[in-house]
Amino acid sequence: MNGARETILGRIRTALRTEAHRPQAPTDAPIFLTVTDLEGRFREEFLALKGEIITDLPAFLAGFAKIASDVPEVASNADVRQADLGVTGCDCLLARTGSIAVCTRSAGGRALSVLPPVHLVIARRDQLVPDLTAALALWHQRYDQHWPSNLSVITGASRTGDIEKILVMGAHGPKRLVLYFAD
Amino acid sequence: MRVGLFIPCFIDQLYPEVGKAMVTVLRRLKINAEFPAEQTCCGQPAFNTGYWPEARELAERYLKVFAGYDAIVCPSGSCTAMVRNNYPQLLGAATPVTANTFEFSEFLVKKLGVTDVGARFPAKVTYHDSCHSLRELRLKDEPRQLLRHVRGLELIEMDQAETCCGFGGTFSVKFPVVSFAMDEVKIESIQRTGAEYVISADSSCLMQIGGGLQRKKFATKTISLAEVLAAQ
Amino acid sequence: MNAAQQFSKAAAAKAVDLRHRAIIQKNISSYDIGVARGKDKFADWQNARSRVAAIKWETVNHLDRYLEEFERNVLSNGGHVHWAEDAEQARQIVLTLARQHGVRKVVKAKSMTTEEIHLNPALEAAGIQPVETDLGEYICQLRNEPPYHIVTPVMHLSKADIGKLFHERFGTPPDAPAEELTMVARRQLRQDFLTADMGITGANFLIADTGMIALTTNEGNGRLSVSLPRIHVAIAGIEKVIPRVSDLGLFWPVLCTSGTGQALTSYSTLVGGPRRDGEVDGPAEFHVILLDNGRTKLLANPEMRDVLHCIRCGACLNTCPVYKTIGGHTYATTYQGPIGSVLTPRLRGAAEWSHLSFASSLCGSCTDVCPVRIDLHHHLLHNRRDAIAGKLDNPLQRLAFKLWLWTMQSPARYVIAGKFARLGLRLGLGNSFAKPWTATRDLPEPPRQTFRDWWSKQ
Repeated sequence: MNGARETILGRIRTALRTEAHRPQAPTDAPIFLTVTDLEGRFREEFLALKGEIITDLPAFLAGFAKIASDVPEVASNADVRQADLGVTGCDCLLARTGSIAVCTRSAGGRALSVLPPVHLVIARRDQLVPDLTAALALWHQRYDQHWPSNLSVITGASRTGDIEKILVMGAHGPKRLVLYFAD
Repeated sequence: MRVGLFIPCFIDQLYPEVGKAMVTVLRRLKINAEFPAEQTCCGQPAFNTGYWPEARELAERYLKVFAGYDAIVCPSGSCTAMVRNNYPQLLGAATPVTANTFEFSEFLVKKLGVTDVGARFPAKVTYHDSCHSLRELRLKDEPRQLLRHVRGLELIEMDQAETCCGFGGTFSVKFPVVSFAMDEVKIESIQRTGAEYVISADSSCLMQIGGGLQRKKFATKTISLAEVLAAQ
Repeated sequence: MNAAQQFSKAAAAKAVDLRHRAIIQKNISSYDIGVARGKDKFADWQNARSRVAAIKWETVNHLDRYLEEFERNVLSNGGHVHWAEDAEQARQIVLTLARQHGVRKVVKAKSMTTEEIHLNPALEAAGIQPVETDLGEYICQLRNEPPYHIVTPVMHLSKADIGKLFHERFGTPPDAPAEELTMVARRQLRQDFLTADMGITGANFLIADTGMIALTTNEGNGRLSVSLPRIHVAIAGIEKVIPRVSDLGLFWPVLCTSGTGQALTSYSTLVGGPRRDGEVDGPAEFHVILLDNGRTKLLANPEMRDVLHCIRCGACLNTCPVYKTIGGHTYATTYQGPIGSVLTPRLRGAAEWSHLSFASSLCGSCTDVCPVRIDLHHHLLHNRRDAIAGKLDNPLQRLAFKLWLWTMQSPARYVIAGKFARLGLRLGLGNSFAKPWTATRDLPEPPRQTFRDWWSKQ
């Protein structure tokens, strides 16, 4: 296997002795539009993705018999493999795309936020950030030198359009993505 | 300004009306262009089929034929693109001759600043953006600006204006069934506009589209942009 | 029949399949609307393209440095890195790992790289069951068919087609709605996720500065494949590396916009190693296989090097009128559409595969839509030029072009040739000699007088 490594790197180094022509250079013009109203924009995008925002947490929880939770606000009574509902926190909320950033540390591992059919995120308004660039910077700042092994940006619940482009929710991941603002 | 006429081989042989129309419009604008009779073909068929040495010979020939002209005008987007965009690769660099070769609508609008050539063509028409004009020469608005000033003309855009008609030179006979399927998609888009005429700056596209329209016995006719601009 | 002849035959058959044409047109028009909306969300889409193209140029032109950085960081995260010169080596690495870990079942997230190395048949031959978990790929697996498209594997199937398949396999009603069919697949595959020993994925991007891989899915099958099984293997081409995690702030939106029109897919995931101390789940082992398989050949050709910038978004396929006419299976190779037509002769041999580069009208739409600014249609011309220079053409054609050149080098010869051509047309010889044209299209009526005749009489 080391043979392959040296062979491939050797081929690369030889190949790169000649430089290739550069593509058209970018300008300094901004790529993305600025996001102003973080909460308003987040709600708009999140709801457009069929995300649900709840205000009555106990009422919502009452609808589930088996709950696996990583947050102190909600008690666990089931293993992640049996749960109807997975409850997690998050790292931040992305306003531009209505996304939720999670990782093993903020969301209780890898499976909790993707295996149960319903995923509830307990978040706070002060977790709102403008966009993906900001979320990646936040992750970098929080976890640099000791990254968790798995991080995800969740943009809406699981979906597929493989069958004639008809949108179906809950292909493999959660069918419902629910958010509760704790503050 | 000394203006030379570059009349592509297949326009010379099969669609001379297109070249005549271009001359008519230029004369109306008081431009007395010259036709160097030594010209033959730009070499595009060879270039597109991969025969670059052969294409290079014709590129060098073109430089000699059109040496000394300030502008060379051509009623074909694809042949213009061949000279302006591909000759520099074949020859190693652009030259004043290659850089000053213009497609007809481009010459009128961008070089002369003219959008009204005093034309009259009362008909319902649609416009096909030929791939070379659109993507190699970046012409989209220029033909439309000219058409907007043609008296009596009603332009209805087709939904697939920018989709390739399927000609592609030798592609049309090497993969004829695929080529014709693309032709059909284009023709269906034209039919949806209800236009009496489909116009283009490339007669090779019109040959493909017209060939299909005629075989299907549809009433829609093809006409070049130059002929519409020459009409009065 | 060689590959070129097979291709022409299959292409001609698909081109007149009106049902196929209608399905593709319907699916692509949804895509087109979505992408137009997606591009509008950018302040400056063209600048976004230039930016990602510049980052890809930087990475590919310093590829050794970035791959070494990536490897270092994967290792320090507790993962393993393997290098595979070709498909066979890559397959052997997977099989060895599977053997070492007693793997009997594998769940696979969608990976064109695993298609490229023909991994599934090798797993099956070794008595290991590969289960495709992306719904589209799962359907392909049930139909025993390769994927039709690099991003949407069953774009060519209607709901009725899939309904019929599921009726035969699972007993669902033949007219079951898409939701019911999807839930059947979800239930079936959930069992596989929970019992699989190994998860195999590709990687949309390899992140050098943190030693992570980036996965992009809508279904969540990628996340499940890397959460539940005890070993995760990711296979990616060496060109997939990008310098920094922060670059994803641009690459993910660009990939998703071009790929499906979404700002971001449902799950944009980073995997950086096996389960860490203190983590409650995740695989015990994480392996990345870096695949060459001809990529260094492209790298060594400065003119073609930008082909390695490809992020596999599928936009060129979706815009290509030839692809939409002949469909993905006609290409008979892993990568289809414009990128496939450019890559395949270079990766798998010009002698057998150059025909893909000729099967194009050179409309240039692919180059226009490519988010990383690959000069796709000009590369088709480069492939054509090299095929001719390598004498892969028909000797009769070669002679014809020499004759044609000789004719065009003299106005007198050109004029005579023109006279004969027009005479032939007038005599209706077009119907005998230009059958490929005249089978479906009329030829123009030749004029009595050429332009130069008219001009000389002025």
